[in-house]
Amino acid sequence: MADNQQIEMVGMNRSAYLRVLAFFLAPAVLIYTLFSVYPLLATIFDSLYLRHEGGALTFNGLGNFQTLLTDETWSKPFWNALRNNLIFFIIHMCVQNPVGLALAALLSLKQLAFRNTYRTLIFMPTMLSVVIIGFIWQLILSPLWGIWKMGLNAVGLGVLFGPYLGQEHTALITISLISVWQFVGIPMILIYTALLAIPDELVDAATVDGLNQWQAFFHVKLPLIWPTIGLVSVLTFVANFNAFDLIYAMQGALAGPNFSTDIMGTLFYRTFFGNQLQLGDPTMGSTIATMMFVIILMGLLVYLYVIQRRIQRYSF
Amino acid sequence: MRSRFSTIAIHAVLLGYTALALFPIILVVMNSMKMKRAIFLSPLTPPGPASFDLIGYHRVFSDGAIGTYYMNSIIVTLGTIFFTLLFGAMAGFALSEYKFRFNKLLGLYLSIGIMVPIRLGSVAIISLVSGMNMINTLSALICVYVAQNLPLAVFILSEFVHQIPKDLREAARCDGLSEYNIFFHIILPLLRPAMATVAVFTMIPVWNDLWFPLLLAPSGGKQTITLGVQQFLGQYVTDWNAVLAALSTAIIPVLIFYVLFSRQLIRGLTSGAVK
Amino acid sequence: MAQVSITSLQKSYGSVDVLKDINLEVEDGSFVVLVGPSGCGKSTLLRSIAGLEAVNGGAISIGGKRVNDLAPAKREIAMVFQSYALYPHMDVEKNMGFGLRFAGTPKQEVAARVAEAARILQLEALLKRRPRELSGGQRQRVAIGRAIVRKPQVFLFDEPLSNLDAALRVNTRVEIAKLHKLLGATIIYVTHDQVEAMTLADKIVVMNQGRIEQAGKPLDLYYRPANTFVANFIGSPAMNMVEIEVTGKNKARTLAGGELGVPLPARAKAGDRLTLGARPEHLTLGAPGKGLTGQLDLVERLGEVGYAHLDMAGGGRFIVEVRGDVKAKRGDKVGVVPDPAKLHLFDANGKACAS
Ligand SMILES: Nc1ncnc2c1ncn2[C@@H]1O[C@H](COP(=O)(O)OP(=O)(O)OP(=O)(O)O)[C@@H](O)[C@H]1O
Ligand SMILES: [Mg+2]
Repeated sequence: MADNQQIEMVGMNRSAYLRVLAFFLAPAVLIYTLFSVYPLLATIFDSLYLRHEGGALTFNGLGNFQTLLTDETWSKPFWNALRNNLIFFIIHMCVQNPVGLALAALLSLKQLAFRNTYRTLIFMPTMLSVVIIGFIWQLILSPLWGIWKMGLNAVGLGVLFGPYLGQEHTALITISLISVWQFVGIPMILIYTALLAIPDELVDAATVDGLNQWQAFFHVKLPLIWPTIGLVSVLTFVANFNAFDLIYAMQGALAGPNFSTDIMGTLFYRTFFGNQLQLGDPTMGSTIATMMFVIILMGLLVYLYVIQRRIQRYSF
Repeated sequence: MRSRFSTIAIHAVLLGYTALALFPIILVVMNSMKMKRAIFLSPLTPPGPASFDLIGYHRVFSDGAIGTYYMNSIIVTLGTIFFTLLFGAMAGFALSEYKFRFNKLLGLYLSIGIMVPIRLGSVAIISLVSGMNMINTLSALICVYVAQNLPLAVFILSEFVHQIPKDLREAARCDGLSEYNIFFHIILPLLRPAMATVAVFTMIPVWNDLWFPLLLAPSGGKQTITLGVQQFLGQYVTDWNAVLAALSTAIIPVLIFYVLFSRQLIRGLTSGAVK
Repeated sequence: MAQVSITSLQKSYGSVDVLKDINLEVEDGSFVVLVGPSGCGKSTLLRSIAGLEAVNGGAISIGGKRVNDLAPAKREIAMVFQSYALYPHMDVEKNMGFGLRFAGTPKQEVAARVAEAARILQLEALLKRRPRELSGGQRQRVAIGRAIVRKPQVFLFDEPLSNLDAALRVNTRVEIAKLHKLLGATIIYVTHDQVEAMTLADKIVVMNQGRIEQAGKPLDLYYRPANTFVANFIGSPAMNMVEIEVTGKNKARTLAGGELGVPLPARAKAGDRLTLGARPEHLTLGAPGKGLTGQLDLVERLGEVGYAHLDMAGGGRFIVEVRGDVKAKRGDKVGVVPDPAKLHLFDANGKACAS
């Protein structure tokens, strides 16, 4: 009887029903398992092995992680990349998301002319490949072409010009801001849609209660879009700790100058493939990938259990 | 009512930001059509009769490979979209239509991939692909991208299947359609708008990706346009005409596509991510 | 055409029993209407007959053939849904012929049957339109047309008129009655609308909480309800009910104390508690002291007739049919006099007492 409860289709026996299910589900499940889940698990599995010269593998438990976190040759680049990645993330959280919120707030104002045009144009850089964006900014910042210098001179800040991408203390910040510039469209669009979903009557009611536009925004609209801001934050987190392209395209695999722009993605790439300075090491590569997985997972858990639980969701 | 002053201020801010967003793009496209001297002497003026020159594009296209790279990108993108939509719609349909014991669990299993980036498994993907002798093939890229995009596609499409009234499927069952025919003749046609949305925003990250082409198909004429341009730029760093032209070649088709489909794309982003 | 018989049908969703021991005979060519309060299982019964729901026990047979394990398409039924369920991406013609095409019916045959149905339903001019280009009434006709072309043994309708406005509903109701005559089809029809049920049905089936309370000819249900549920459900405004205590032969009193002379069944003995029912049109208002006593609360004047709402002495409310221009005002004390020949009596279990 229990099995009968599973089958709701009259006139179809169990095997026909299973055939239908298999037909519809198998392609997606197989390809997803083979090319997404299996590699992820295999990577985690690999991180538990040690590779010896000649290619033999032995089980090493969590030894690779111990090496990564404590052995000077590994831990220095690792902590460096993690710190840089955190800075990269913090700059996104402090610049990209507030700017996105501000733009969304402006765009969602009632009776704003050309709002779709603004929205479409501001979103445009997000559409382009990170590689292209990186190169364009490299050209703009280049002293050879001098566009940026001309710009700074024009506003009387010429003294601030420098080889931003070539200096250790400015390269990471510059690259982060370029990334912010490219991706500001995503928080903008998500928050903008959330704002549009808030019924006008709520703001009208606040206006009747005597709040001005600013107060209405901060006391009525903002609390209603916290869930979206939470979502934007977790998307930013996942994307940032998974980033690679921009730094690889602008600074190369060595993430110069002197590893000052090295983040987890580039460290992983270098470790796995090797470079001028070292040979490729697949198991340590896997170990770093697993660390990235753990970090992203922790971010997701924080989101699911802390942020999402705390934030009250409202439906209109 | 907003005062005239604040309306002007709002437009000033938005215009300012729009200019900031577009300036670098316009700058590159504009200068790609100028002579080298003009690029450096007057970078901010559009190409005029005196400065107009397509030498950069000549160099890019005489390299010969760009056309191939474009073709590769188109094949990979279309292949990915086709299989993502087909398999995604099939799975989304089955998950929302049929009751079976592991339905919820399977849905959860598939949705892990929405948040966990597939890149983390790259090490194993490479050995898998080379084990299958598929390094430097476009099929390898398509497989990986389909696996990457399926979770979100399944999720969104099953929401849409859910919105198709149950009565329609039951009417079809009374009409004697098999489950397969219900899917292909009733559900699939009705999913078309949703699939357009999913397609548009599956397409962009695939087209722009650098990571997997670099890992799985870095040579042998199987580079995608993004990787191809990146490699080209590496070779010609000092040839400004060529560099600007190569960048523009990569930008312009995407921008045209974007202007044509921006509405769908933005709808896709919002319906996909907010739910 | 065929008769449908349902024996001991059971259906549950998880631990909730939705249909409990349903037994029903639908004669060949008859028009059976299922009514009952929302959630009582009408749609579930209909869908079980169609084969859209698997049942947990009992048998369904159509035309003498047991169909429990047949897929919907093999049962020779056609269903018309409340939402019409027209395929939005096909024009009217394709919508109607779709099922036949999949059954492998030759093209000319499909075209001929669609044309025939279109003629009957006056859809000829609309054949090339998509569903969204049709009005509600036209969609309704297409949905019926789609059922007709399949030449089914049994038509199943689930609240087909509930999305139409009042005027169109009357028209379509008449159309469906004509269609039934024309096709001589067996029809099982679910509705919420009493007028639809009374005018269309050869047999009405009153359901409640997954059971059949009574099945019979419309007027039988009206004049001889089998229990208080049916008495209450059929007729509008509903039947008035009051509890009485037998005091002697053909004598009783209400719990509030009013004495009544009513024809009681022979086996009623003093002290028995019964429920007395009287329809609004079988009561008249009289001077206070006659019959039951009540106080006028308000009169709904609908034109020719009106309904007087009364607060009865001893609690409860009565509705009495009066002339539309009756002179009465709020607070008047009145007597309510029943027509002894038209009274209904129910025993303590709510079953009608044989008189
Ligand atoms: N898929 C389901 N799962 C669980 N319970 C269900 C399901 N479908 C219906 N029910 C329950 O079965 C009962 C009967 O439902 P059904 O739709 O047959 O009622 P109905 O008489 O048609 O009501 P209405 O007049 O409102 O259409 C209801 O109590 C309903 O809640
Ligand atoms: Mg119903």
